This record gives sequence, C-alpha cells and structure tokens, in this order.
Amino acid sequence: MRDIHKVYPDGTVALRGVDFHLEPGEIVGLLGENGAGKTTLMKILSGLLPPTRGEIRIDGRPVRFRNPADALRAGIGMVHQIFTLVPPYTALENILLGQEGSMLWLSKDRARDQVQRLLQELGLSIPLDVPVELLPIGVQQRVEIAKVLYRGTQVLILDEPTSALTPLEVAELFRFLRDLKAGGRSIVFITHKLREVLEISDRIVVLRNGRVTGEISTPEATPEQLAEWMVGRAVVPRVSRSPRPPGEAVLVVRDLEVIGDLGLPAVKGVSFEVRAGEIFGIAGVEGNGQSELAQALGGLRPIRRGEILLDGKPLTPLTPIEAYRRGIAHIPEDRLRFGIALNFDVAENSILSRQWEPAFLRGWGRLDWGQILSFAGRLLQQFQVIAPGPRALARSLSGGNQQKLVVGRELTKEPKLILAVHPTRGLDVASTAYIRELLVQMRDAGKAVLLISADLDEVLELSDRIAVMYEGKFLGVGPVEAFTRETIGMMMGGIVPQGRVG
Amino acid sequence: MRGARPLLESLVAIGVGLIAGGLLMLPFGYHPLRAYQALFQGAFGTLHDVLETLAFATPLMLTALTFGVGVRAGLFNIGAEGQMYIGAIGAVWAASFLSLPPGLHLLVATLVAILCGALWSLVPALLKIWRGVHEVISTIMFNWIAFHLAMYLAIRYLAEPGRAERTRPALPTARYPILAEGSTLTAVIFVAVLFCLAVYFILWGTRLGYELRLVGENPEAARYAGVRIGWALLWSFLIGGMAAGLAGASQIIGRPPAWSLYATLGNVATLGFDGIGVALVGRNHPLGGILAAILFGALQHGGRFMEYHAGVVSELVRAVNGLIVITLAVPELWTMLRRRLSR
Amino acid sequence: MRGLLQRLGWIGFIALALGLLAYGFEQVGLKPVSLLEAGLLAMTPLALAAVGECVNEKAGVVNIGLEGILLITAVAGVWVAEQFGSGIAGLVGGMVIGALIGLVLGLLAVYGRSDQIIAGMGLNLFALGFTPYLLMSLWAFPGIHIFPRELMIPRWITPIGQISPVTLVAVLLAILAHILLHHTVLGFRIRAVGERPEAVDVAGVRVDRLRLFTSVLGGALCGLGGAFMPLAWFGGVVKEISAGRGFIALACVVFAGLEPLLALAAAFLFGLTEGIAYAVAVTPGVKERIPFYFVNMLPYITTLLVVTLVIGRRRFPRTIGRPYARE
Repeated sequence: MRDIHKVYPDGTVALRGVDFHLEPGEIVGLLGENGAGKTTLMKILSGLLPPTRGEIRIDGRPVRFRNPADALRAGIGMVHQIFTLVPPYTALENILLGQEGSMLWLSKDRARDQVQRLLQELGLSIPLDVPVELLPIGVQQRVEIAKVLYRGTQVLILDEPTSALTPLEVAELFRFLRDLKAGGRSIVFITHKLREVLEISDRIVVLRNGRVTGEISTPEATPEQLAEWMVGRAVVPRVSRSPRPPGEAVLVVRDLEVIGDLGLPAVKGVSFEVRAGEIFGIAGVEGNGQSELAQALGGLRPIRRGEILLDGKPLTPLTPIEAYRRGIAHIPEDRLRFGIALNFDVAENSILSRQWEPAFLRGWGRLDWGQILSFAGRLLQQFQVIAPGPRALARSLSGGNQQKLVVGRELTKEPKLILAVHPTRGLDVASTAYIRELLVQMRDAGKAVLLISADLDEVLELSDRIAVMYEGKFLGVGPVEAFTRETIGMMMGGIVPQGRVG
Repeated sequence: MRGARPLLESLVAIGVGLIAGGLLMLPFGYHPLRAYQALFQGAFGTLHDVLETLAFATPLMLTALTFGVGVRAGLFNIGAEGQMYIGAIGAVWAASFLSLPPGLHLLVATLVAILCGALWSLVPALLKIWRGVHEVISTIMFNWIAFHLAMYLAIRYLAEPGRAERTRPALPTARYPILAEGSTLTAVIFVAVLFCLAVYFILWGTRLGYELRLVGENPEAARYAGVRIGWALLWSFLIGGMAAGLAGASQIIGRPPAWSLYATLGNVATLGFDGIGVALVGRNHPLGGILAAILFGALQHGGRFMEYHAGVVSELVRAVNGLIVITLAVPELWTMLRRRLSR
Repeated sequence: MRGLLQRLGWIGFIALALGLLAYGFEQVGLKPVSLLEAGLLAMTPLALAAVGECVNEKAGVVNIGLEGILLITAVAGVWVAEQFGSGIAGLVGGMVIGALIGLVLGLLAVYGRSDQIIAGMGLNLFALGFTPYLLMSLWAFPGIHIFPRELMIPRWITPIGQISPVTLVAVLLAILAHILLHHTVLGFRIRAVGERPEAVDVAGVRVDRLRLFTSVLGGALCGLGGAFMPLAWFGGVVKEISAGRGFIALACVVFAGLEPLLALAAAFLFGLTEGIAYAVAVTPGVKERIPFYFVNMLPYITTLLVVTLVIGRRRFPRTIGRPYARE
C-alpha cells in the first residue's frame, strides 16, 4: 500500500499518506491510539472502504478493490473488532454466508463436511449448530476467524482481537496465530496494547494521527520508544497515589443478586464494602455482571435479593434521583448511551440527571436558564472541557471532552460515593490521565470511589483494593498489593490460583 | 449556522416538491408555470387573499404541533386527524347545544374541543406506555374509528333539522369574531398562535419539556436522568391531542360561513395529515410550524385559484405536500447538494 | 398477570366474534358460504401487501407507505385495464407500478439513507392528494369511477362459494414467500441482511441489491393488491378505496412476526371481520338495528385488539429501518 489517503464524507481526515507493506509469513503489529487510523487503513486493504488517494499492489500488480468480495478473491480477509456475525445464525450458517455453493436451494449438509475438515486442519473447535449469539465471545471470535479462512484467505487482518478476551484466551489465540504463520499466511495485528504487540509480532508499524510515526523490527523495539511514537510523548504519565488510611465504610453491599436482560441472574450474590478515602476497583472481562451491578447501584435496575447500605442505612428501592439524593454520583459505562444527549447543547447536558434540582428551577417547573448557563460555564472551565461554549451541541465535542463534561457534572454533585464505570474507555491519553487524576483527587478528599473497568492497568494503577468479577461473582477480594497481573488474569478467566481464596 | 441549515433544507425540499408536482401536471396537459403563477397570485395577490391564507394556516399550525411534539418525544404520532374530528364534534356540541353567556360560551366550546382531542389521544398513549403498541398503527386505527364515530354523531345527534348534510351551526355566542369583512379569518388564529407559543415555552423553558425532549433524543439517558418515561410520553400525546382538538374547534367556531361540521367531515378531513408535512417543513418546532403553516395555507388557498384558472385539481397541492415530506426524509440529498456546491 | 389479561382478551374477542356470527345466523339465516366469500375477498389485498412487507422487513427495510401504494395502484390498475381492455392487464399494471414505487422507496432508503418511516408516510400523504388528482385528471369525475363490467376478473365457482383466482394467487405467493425466506440461498441472505448487514457485506454479497430487491418485491405484491380491489372486488374506484388497509396490513406483519404464512392467517382473520361487517351491513333485519357506522369500525377495532394482545412477543430483525453504511 503506498501513499494511502482517506478523507471521510463528513470531512474527517483519517489517513494522510501512509505506506504499508506485508511480506508472506510474517506477523505485523499495527500500533496506535484510538483514532490514529489503524482500522481505516485495514478497512481499505480489505476492500470495505475506498481510499481517497493512493494505490495497493499485490505481488507488484496494482489492484483496486470495490468491495470486500474483491479483496477476498485476492486472498485478503479481515476479522473486525465488532464481529460481523449474524447473531441468530449458527456457526455453520455464518461460515457459509456468501459461499453457499448453489445459487438456488440452501443445502448445509454438503458444506458441513468441508467446514469440519477445515476446522480440524486449523485445530479450532467450534460447535457448528448453536446460534452464535449463545456462544461465548472467545468462541464467536473463532467462528469469525474460521469464516475468513474458509474463503482461502492468505492475509488475515485482526482488529483489536484481544479486547474482549481473558488472558488465557489471548494466549490461546497467539498460539493459533503462530501456527497460521508457520503455515505461510501473513497476519496484520491491530492493537493499542504495547505488551501484546511486543509478544506476537515480527515487525511493528506505529500510526499516529493518520501518519506512520515509526517502524521497527520487534526484537529491536522497546516499550518506551513505541509509546513515544504512539502518543508523541516520551512516557504515558502515571497517576501518583500516596498511601492513605481508609475511613468508615460508605457503601456496604450484602449478597446482592441482580437479574440481567435475558432474565437470568447476572449478579449472583455479591458482598463488598467501599470505604471513605479509598478506590475499590472491580476488574473482569466485560459481560460478567459488572454492568448490571453498576446499574443496580445507580438505581437503573431493580435488585432481586440482598441489600445495599449507604452510610449504614438501607438504600432500596432505588431510583436514579433517589440514588443522587443519597449521595451517589454515577459516571455511566457508555456516555453515548446513558451519559449525554448528542443533540442537546452543553448547558442542557450539564444538568442531565440534575434537571430536578431546585437550583436550576424557578417556580412552576420552569428552567432557570441564567443559573444553568453559568453552571455550564463553570463546568467547562473547572474540568478543562474544550468546547466553543455552553450553547454548542454535545455532538460537536470530542469524545474526551464529552466525557470530561460528564465526569465534571457527576463530581460536582458533592457525592459520598462515586460510581465510575469504564471512565476512560475509548479516550485519548491526555483525557485518560486527567480523569484518572480526578478520581484519585476525589479519593484523597475522602470520597468513596467504586471503579469498574475492563482495563486491567487502570484497575491496578488506581485501586486501593481490588475484586475480580467472573460470571456474576467475586473470585478474589483484597488489597492491590496482593495481586499481580498474572493472578488477576487467571481469575478473569475463572481460575483461582493455588493457595489463594478470595 | 445551527439555524441556517434546517431552513435551507426545508427550502430545498419545498423547491423539489413543487418541481416534482409540476412534472405531475405535464402528462395531463396542464401548464405548470401558469398553474403555479395562479397559485401564488391566488395566495398572496390581495390583502383578502393573505387573510384567507392565514385562515387556512390556522388549523395546520395546530395539527403540525401534534406531530411535532410527538417527534420531540420520539413518537410518530399521526393521530391528529382523528383527534381533530372528535375535537370538532365536541365544539359542535358545546357551541350549538349549550346555551351560555357570550364570552363564556366561546371559552367553554374551545375547552370542550381541546378536552375531546386530548381524550381521543389518551388510548393510543396508554397502549403505547403499557403494551408498547406502535403509535403508527394505533393512531391510524383511531383515526378511522373517529371518522365513523364522528359521522355517526354528526348525522344522528347533531344534525341541523331538515338539513342532513351538516350539523347545527354554532350559536353566535360561541363564534370567534371575524377579523375583516368578507374574510373567513377569525380571532381563533390568535388562540392558535398563543397555543404554539405556549408549547414552545413548555418544551424549552420547563423541566417537563426538557424531560420530554430528552426522552426523544436518548431514552436511555432519560432513564439514567431519572425521567419517568411513561409520563413524558403521556404528556406528549396529550399536548398533541389538545392541539388537534383546538384545530377541530377552529373549523367549527372559528371559520365562517358554515360554523358547523359537514356530515361528510369534508371541512375538516385531511387537515390532520397535512399537519405532518407542515411539522416536518417547520422542523418539528412550534414556531417553525407557524411559518410552515402559512406556506401550506398559501398552497391550499392558492390551490383553489389554480383549479379555477389553470384547471389543475387543487388536490395536487396535497400530493406536493407528500413529495416535500419524502424529500425531507432523505438527508443525503442535502449532503450531495452541499458537495456539488462546494466544488 | 399479563398472561391472564391476554388470555381473557382473546377469549373476549373470540366470544364477541362468535356472538356476532350466531346473532347474524339466527336473525336472517345468513349463509356461512357468503361470509367466507366476503372474507376471502377482503383478505386478498391485505395478504398481498402483508406478505410482500414481511419479506421486505426481513431484509431490514420498512415501508409504511403500503396504504399509498394500494391507493395509487387501485387507480392506475383501472386505467391500465381500460387502456388494454383487459382486467388482467390492469392487475399486471398495478404490479408494475407498485414495483416502481417500491424501487423508488428502496433507492431512497439504500442510497439516500432516508428515514424510512418519514419517507413512507410521505408516500401516504402524496397518495392522499395524488389519487383524487388522478381520478379527476383521468376521468374528470370526482366521485366513484365505474369501469365496464367486462374488465372485472371473473370469479370461479367452487363448492365453498365464488372465489377470485387472485385470492388463490395470494395464497400461493404467501407459500412461495415462505419457501423463499427459509429454503433458498436468496432468503438465507435476506434474513442475514436484516440482522447484520455488515456480515453480508464482508462476505462479498451486495447489501444494496438485496434490499432493493425486497423493496421492489414488496411494492409489486402491494400493487397487485391495490389493483385487485377495483378490478376483482368492488367494480369501481373511489379516492379512499383502500380505507386504511395498508395499515391493517402492517398490523398483520407485526402480528405475524414477519412470517408470511402467519401474515396470511392474520389477513384472513381481518378479512373475515370485514366480511362480517359487510354481511351485517347488507342483511335486512340486521342492518336496521346496528348502525352501519359501528359496523364499519369493526376491522379497525379488531386490528387494535389483536395488535395490543400479541405485541411484545415477536422478534424483529436488529437493523430494521436503519440504513447501512460502511463508515
């Protein structure tokens, strides 16, 4: 790929002249922050997006892909970060889609043998006749990979393939990828995690802001060098956290059971407490009940059994407004889903969940716009939100600034307990560092902070005490010093290391 | 910039709608330019025509409000038509069969109509809130039920003795004053505009309006913010029903010369559906709706001239309304246009 | 609690329907055959529109403009029939015009990324004005237009009464649509595209063509239903000829959870209601007692009841009504 440019129809410039090449039988790590252009580049290579400028050559011959079918025919296939599986279809049906063999009647039996042979060859085990929506994420990923390889793919592109996997599953995936490489296939591995790229790749290409900022063969690479290429700065700043004796228990949760969307228990009898002046971190692969736990504490989901005590007083039944009144601030897991309304302006978003506060109202339920605007102005200033002004639409703010607005709104609620769910997911390095620092400040100011995050580094860096959540239960609870990356990693996969009981 | 784009989009859609409407005239041998000339002359030619245009605009700004307040809460409430029939029936009953002092009678008739419209919107609202019945299906079914119910009531109980084709006219004590001699524009337009202003204030100046719009923008965020979603939806339906009821009243106690409801419902029919186009052109905003209603009022009043002078059936105006709505449904049209212009 | 209410509702509804039937029989010796005849006729346009829309919505495209297509193709079908002097030509004409309207809506949805609900409603509004305009422009007559009797599609006399061949075509099409969706490669892809267009796209199958195809198919079936109303049923055309049938068809689609055979069954149920209404309205001895206006409400009330009772139990494609774009 030479001199690839991409400008999206809405005017966003994603790629500004990228050169990229791939040899047979190598694994290339494509490293970069969110929005660096990694995914865009690979979508162009896999035919999903047309480049605005630039050319692609295979074995020296220029090619033009109009759609993914062209790329597949040229032997290039991509495993997307968000899987492209049809949820109610079985694994077999998903693998067959587009390759049904006949044009008229659908017959799955003939294809079944072929698929089974392929799976055997690859050493993948997949239940073929279960709808994929019922399979665990790790198995879904295998289906996705099998789907691409069934089409005779020689170049396999994987976009952030480890984001939803446990460390054990990651190790298994890496073993599989090395086998594929040994079989002569080439692999592009997109990630933002330094550790992974150093472990799996032969060569590393770093993208920042739509440009290649560095390229190095993996044995020569150092994490510091890669980080500098990635963020344009020497090191990712670490939040400093001084030891501090914790205070009274603010939140006490006893034997909590919460029902999930599918009607089955998602949180299965969890007990813990969060004390004033401490950050209690809950680690775990997403989908193990963390969302439901957070929603229950925020008043968004009824609890089935157990009790929640705040300052020693029971807290049920709970509505979001009641939770706020009692002193819970909730930084929700997905700001676009829960936290803001994109077509509301900054001022309107600054009172979202606070719209009932007397401070923002005049008589008869009228909004006091003077108060709201000055409050929004204060938020922008105090929390370093970069926005044209309180009347700018939330849509016009970057993700980091939207999140800072949400965090500011919640932290100014004068809470006793801060519920922070994936508070830095998808954010740039600067906003991430800033928000982490705010959480530590809150802790130092004597607040109780409950941090739920799928980012293991975040939990380890910020928390005073840690719990690992797996299938709705806590596998281990203890001070941060008692855990290592490896032990947490095993617990995230459901394995309690020898000699430890939570 | 935030204000300019929607306005331009609306203007482009109106232009496309009119051009497409002109194309529909060609196969039948009509002359589009002559027809449109007659239309605009008819709509704005004299002061009298301007007043008539405003008279046509009055019910439209209200039925547009019904749809617009629905959209603001994330609903596709197309029940204005039926709510308007029932409102009109309420107005006929209160204005022709009650005997009250002047002023009070007018007030009561107006309020009864508003109440009737709101009541007719209540069942689709509750079906939506409790059972999740999609409002497109429920409101359309209620429109048809209202259609037959209104005709039944008009003919069976409210008809003028000896004249089966219409109901008893409103008593003089329940009529809005005519604003100019020989015109059909009455003071009801002020009530309509006031209603629009009030809804505008509710939507952007109160907690209720804030929560209602939040439900429309992002229902999950509304839940997170502690909004009782059912209440917000109920209010959206009820405000819409009130507006439609008032629209029905405006055609009975605010529109000479009939001051009554035709047994075919001919003097109110389709005004509710027309409001959908008006609302969309007015960007589902109460004030935008007033402007758009004047435009559509002009089309309807001018359409009669067009029929007279150019022979083009005035119903074509309604077809143009539909074409404008279809155009507005395609956001890409605007993007394509902008790309073409910036080149 | 909800289940109980639901069951009570069903029982009440069935009891009401049976009661009405029994009442009719007793009063005037109403023949069940004529009721079935009327019901099957009323079923046909509903079934055609609903079956086409089932396939369309399976692919993730919603067309709430069925009412508009029914109106326009009813008029257009009569016009084509008169031009060619053949009722069959009229039916074909209705189909072609319905397909064209489906194509336009499909193009807007797929390439224009339109809001499908608003576009469909726009089509309904358009038809509301365009139909009377057409009636006036074509025949210079605002009311009912009666065409020559020989253009009517003749009905077959069978042991269960007179049945229109178009009704049989509608039943056949429902079966074919079922086979298409569940037993062919095309249907396999159509169902996939409604659930996860990305999956179809990366598999190298054109999302746009699949959705255009179902949109055209839905339009064509609906157009056949539109032309059926005057040419094989009423014998004339008025500006409000479809009287909400497009929306009742949508209710059938919802009821059926997008399964063509269930949609056919729902259409039969609604058709029978309309048949009862019709029978009540024309039978001496009954029509004097029950106001004709209330009889006319029956199909709409039934629709509301059924939709209220079954909703929430159906699964719809995940991307229904949403445009697909790669970015």
